Amino acid sequence: MHTTQSNTYPGTVGAAEAVAPAREVAAAETQSTIFLWMLTTVALFVILALLGIYMRLTQGGALVGLRSWFYPMMTLHGVGMAGLWFVGSMACACEALRKHVRASSAVAVFALAGTVVGVVLLLVSVFLGRFAAGWYFLYPLPLLGEWPAWSAATFLTSLTVLGATWLIWSLDVLRAVAERYSLSNALGWHYLRGETEPAVPPAVIIVTVSMIANVVALVSGVIVLVLFYFELLTGRPSDALLMKNLTFLFGHTLVNLAMYLALAVVYDALPVYAGRPWKANKIVAISWNSVLLIVLLAYFHHLYMDFVQPGALQYIGQVASYAASLPAAIVTIFGALLLVYHAPMRWSLPAVLFFLGLLGWAVGGIGAVIDSTIVANVRLHNTLWVPAHFHTYMLAGFAIIGGYFYHCGRQSAKADISEPIGRYQAVLLSWILAGAVGFLAMFYWAGAYSVPRRYSGYPIELAHGTTYALWAGIFASIFLLAAVLCLIDVMGSWRKQAPVRADDRLGAPSPIGAPAAARAEE
Amino acid sequence: MLAAPAWAQDAQSEADEGRALFDEKCVVCHTNGGGDHIGPDLAGVLDRRPREWVARFILEPDRVIAGGDSVALELLKKYNGIEMPNAGLSAEDVEEIIDYLAGTPGAAAQAPPPRAREAQPPPEMLLAQASILYTFLAISVIIVAVFTFVALSTRGPAASVDIARAYQLRRVLFVIALILVASLLVATMPQSPYARAGTTADRVVYVAARQYEFVFSEEPIVTAEDIARSRRIASLELAPGELVEFRVTSLDVTHGFGIYGPERQLLAQTQAMPGYVNRLIVRPERTGPYLALCMEYCAGGHHLMSVPFTVESATPVASHRPTSSLTAN
Ligand code: HEC
Ligand code: HEM
Ligand SMILES: [Cu+2]
Repeated sequence: MHTTQSNTYPGTVGAAEAVAPAREVAAAETQSTIFLWMLTTVALFVILALLGIYMRLTQGGALVGLRSWFYPMMTLHGVGMAGLWFVGSMACACEALRKHVRASSAVAVFALAGTVVGVVLLLVSVFLGRFAAGWYFLYPLPLLGEWPAWSAATFLTSLTVLGATWLIWSLDVLRAVAERYSLSNALGWHYLRGETEPAVPPAVIIVTVSMIANVVALVSGVIVLVLFYFELLTGRPSDALLMKNLTFLFGHTLVNLAMYLALAVVYDALPVYAGRPWKANKIVAISWNSVLLIVLLAYFHHLYMDFVQPGALQYIGQVASYAASLPAAIVTIFGALLLVYHAPMRWSLPAVLFFLGLLGWAVGGIGAVIDSTIVANVRLHNTLWVPAHFHTYMLAGFAIIGGYFYHCGRQSAKADISEPIGRYQAVLLSWILAGAVGFLAMFYWAGAYSVPRRYSGYPIELAHGTTYALWAGIFASIFLLAAVLCLIDVMGSWRKQAPVRADDRLGAPSPIGAPAAARAEE
Repeated sequence: MLAAPAWAQDAQSEADEGRALFDEKCVVCHTNGGGDHIGPDLAGVLDRRPREWVARFILEPDRVIAGGDSVALELLKKYNGIEMPNAGLSAEDVEEIIDYLAGTPGAAAQAPPPRAREAQPPPEMLLAQASILYTFLAISVIIVAVFTFVALSTRGPAASVDIARAYQLRRVLFVIALILVASLLVATMPQSPYARAGTTADRVVYVAARQYEFVFSEEPIVTAEDIARSRRIASLELAPGELVEFRVTSLDVTHGFGIYGPERQLLAQTQAMPGYVNRLIVRPERTGPYLALCMEYCAGGHHLMSVPFTVESATPVASHRPTSSLTAN
């Protein structure tokens, strides 16, 4: 049994980091904060996914009485899921880095507080103000919808709070990384020069790359918001094309980074289950450094159908989108498969989730690469193909985040993380998978049939879109039901094994701040 | 011609004025007997509501709603929370419109039956669309197969794998992928829609998008006032094989202009962005009913924003006439 050995698998993180610092924190405390964390994420996920089901059912012609809420709920679902995904990945990445790097706990608490404030403002603008400009609030729609001006202002304020908070959070992570490794080493540049010391774990390289791109993304998001305020105050309009470029530099990059952070987590944890190390080397360093450049250029594919955009940028968009897939497939996916190939693999729940997560990332990535081909984009732009591909890898990302929560929870409880997945869970997982595949297949199918995205109901010419939507709603319900049952089972078994001192935890600051706060006392 | 009594003539000309106003300011959202659109069908509205209420609502819908009028709030809820805008009409304008609405029971009968359009079974997928879908499916199946293969390999664990061989395989894969990507780029980029930018089209059609309609015109439309002034194309007809350039812009938010052919699938699209003109050049080959749908979310009426047009041979081939069904709404 590799009960306690497993989290310090020799070589996992490179020679110099072979042994994680001993954690003498009260295991129960860390575990219960992680437990709280999971609960919050899970609860939000379930609520937001229910909104998703509501949307598909509405598009499917059911629930017409509630149709007028479609667009506000679409906005809430989009911002909520993207935000939850980002925060979840950030949290997991910070947790993965904890072995190597110490980020400020005060900033983590601040990040949580800011996120809560932002979410409250978001809920006010959507539920009371019926704000509905969609998750990327394309200029100038927020100022010209059927919702009142105050709700647009509240929404923009909400995003400003979130953006500023996350910017500070990212900068703090960067600071902590730079303190420990120096920025150039953390980017693995010494590997490029042929040096092998100091050994930098891949997770650190990925997180550093992501945080730098993230700062660029958030800054451009903040610029967009400032230009919105400027117009609100002075009435001087902005340039729509410039605003769209900034918006997608922000939105596209942010969402991609969340996936990279999830991958960092896989680099950190999958070796534990494979019983083999996954080290950084020159190739890993090259690949992730090129990702930094490429990901910032790929966003141009969101503007393919704006023919006034300079042509060169359009082509750069396609080249960059293709190029982004190479390091991903050849280094990360290949590396992960090599790690698992003929490995003494322990297929416990997290291992299965990580593996499925990578699979989903690969499939969704193919959907994205196809869509980023300009000729294909003519047929796919803003059809349901777009939500099809991003739901594929976002669901994959949540599989990874979920797996990592489980992994950390069991580890901090010093529980056996190697027990293979149980029969009941395996059955539920198959239902989850079947539901997800069906739900996604309807998106892809309808997208290929040119059914537009973001329609609360379909015109009669596209009546078949209604049928796909209804089926998707049914599949998504199966997915969600099985997922909830699985979560209940997991949490139940946790409780039995290591009872959470709920009384202590009630006043705990936060899912997001708490682990960091707890770790500061280590 | 037999003269109608003076009072009737007055009413008649009022109604004509009203009709013009209605066509200018209201048809974006309402029909008179053509079925519900973004707002309710206004045929018979004077039977359902007191005339004073209707007048007040048309005059200042914003204040009626803000005042918490229960009928208005009920309607607001029913129509997706889209508030009817204040059109800035005078009291006389409103009276004229009401006369028009009151005096034309015939309008409902003349208009094509609103819900004559019937849902049809899904069309056969176009070649472009089908190749996209099947390429995706094929690659996905390969990915799933590789993952399954690797997962199954763990049933026979080996102490170590031959890293050197693995890296060699990776190099080979990398080169293959690079060649694949490069040739795809070379093959597809020349076909991008921007490549046609220099061509001169046989026909230029100006398209102005606004919440929630597309306006076709022979002349550029830059502001909402231009719509009334310019030579508007009420029903657009194109000839098959003709090279057509749509000059697309928007008067408010960003919209999309997506062309759906008789197969009811996308043939081409571009964005309609305020302050910019996107030039979309297409050569429609197939004759039949076409439809442009809005491809960029533009608030509550987005899914209702569409405009039909037709592609027909100049020689009148009666059988190709689109049924009136496609022009409703
Ligand atoms: C932007 C779309 C829009 C435009 C333009 C518009 N309306 Fe409306 N109208 C609506 C909506 C939506 C409603 C339903 C009430 C609501 O949601 O505010 C409505 C309701 C009405 C009603 C009440 C109908 C009933 O069943 O009681 C009348 C009358 C009316 N409109 C007349 C007009 C006239 C006349 C014009 C042109 C001067 C006009 N509207 C222009 C969207 C519009
Ligand atoms: C079972 C789970 C889910 C269901 C049923 C669901 C359903 C939907 C539906 C129906 C839409 C609108 C599609 C359209 O444009 O017509 C949508 C949009 C979206 N979803 Fe989901 N979704 C789910 C999970 C997720 C997850 C996990 C994420 C992210 C991590 C996510 C992020 C988004 C985003 C960003 C949008 C775009 C919103 C916009 O266009 O403004 N969803 N989803
Ligand atoms: Cu639209």
